[in-house]
Amino acid sequence: MDYALISFASTYGAIYAQKVLKEVAPVQVMPVLREISLGCGMALRIVPEDLAVVQAALAASSLQHGEYACYAITGSGSTLQAELLP
Amino acid sequence: MSHIIDAKGKACPTPVILAKGAISQDMAQFTVLVDNTTAVENLKRLAGNQGFASAVREEDGAYAVDFSRGEDCPACEAVINSPIAPPGAGWAVFAGRDTIGEGDRELGTNLMRMFFYTLAQGEDKPAAILFMNGGVKLPTQDQQVAEHLKALTEAGVEVLVCGTCLNFYHLADQLQVGTVSNMYDIVSRMQQADKVISL
Repeated sequence: MDYALISFASTYGAIYAQKVLKEVAPVQVMPVLREISLGCGMALRIVPEDLAVVQAALAASSLQHGEYACYAITGSGSTLQAELLP
Repeated sequence: MSHIIDAKGKACPTPVILAKGAISQDMAQFTVLVDNTTAVENLKRLAGNQGFASAVREEDGAYAVDFSRGEDCPACEAVINSPIAPPGAGWAVFAGRDTIGEGDRELGTNLMRMFFYTLAQGEDKPAAILFMNGGVKLPTQDQQVAEHLKALTEAGVEVLVCGTCLNFYHLADQLQVGTVSNMYDIVSRMQQADKVISL
């Protein structure tokens, strides 16, 4: 895994998650990868080492299961692989 | 005795305009007095661009920038006499604000971050990224955008940030990436570019 990506069912969810994670881990905002969704959307990028603490913080937030998804991203361009994490 | 231009108390780009006036009158040596470091940097770059050597002296909180034309320097003459670079110098991005579009500020801030993320990740990079007015808050105060700009700079992209605007917003000491610049250089990058994308 090169980095972890968190996608959201809504832009409001993404902006809310930014606030939740502000004190938890450094987060970058990025467009959702085409490999994950054809729609235009906002995703959050974190380093793999922060994945567990970020997942815990989101689980403890008011975001419901199904309102966001975590992916392990490896490679880029034609070699990019996105694996949906449980 | 060298000609002295007193530009203390004059806001950018006046010191540069006055220095250009001296250059256009074929003065080989002159000194410009200014009272802020942004003007000093702009004058040093003007000297470099126009084939002049420059030296800076600081006296009592003011700065004296000495211009002297290099002698028998064909390369300098070529620069002095050359017009603005011909078209074909890639494309440029102009950010005159710190959000993309009208509407919700938080969304606009995130769209701007996503724009620079995408730009930094992509293969087709601009020749120059130009920041003015509220846009100067990006290379100073937005950590994520500053990181993308550093990556773009390392890839050869020129980042120019309006010095007048940095002073206006009191951000001159917070610039994380890019070169403090002026209207002349920013307009020249726009003119050189095949296209300018305004955000």
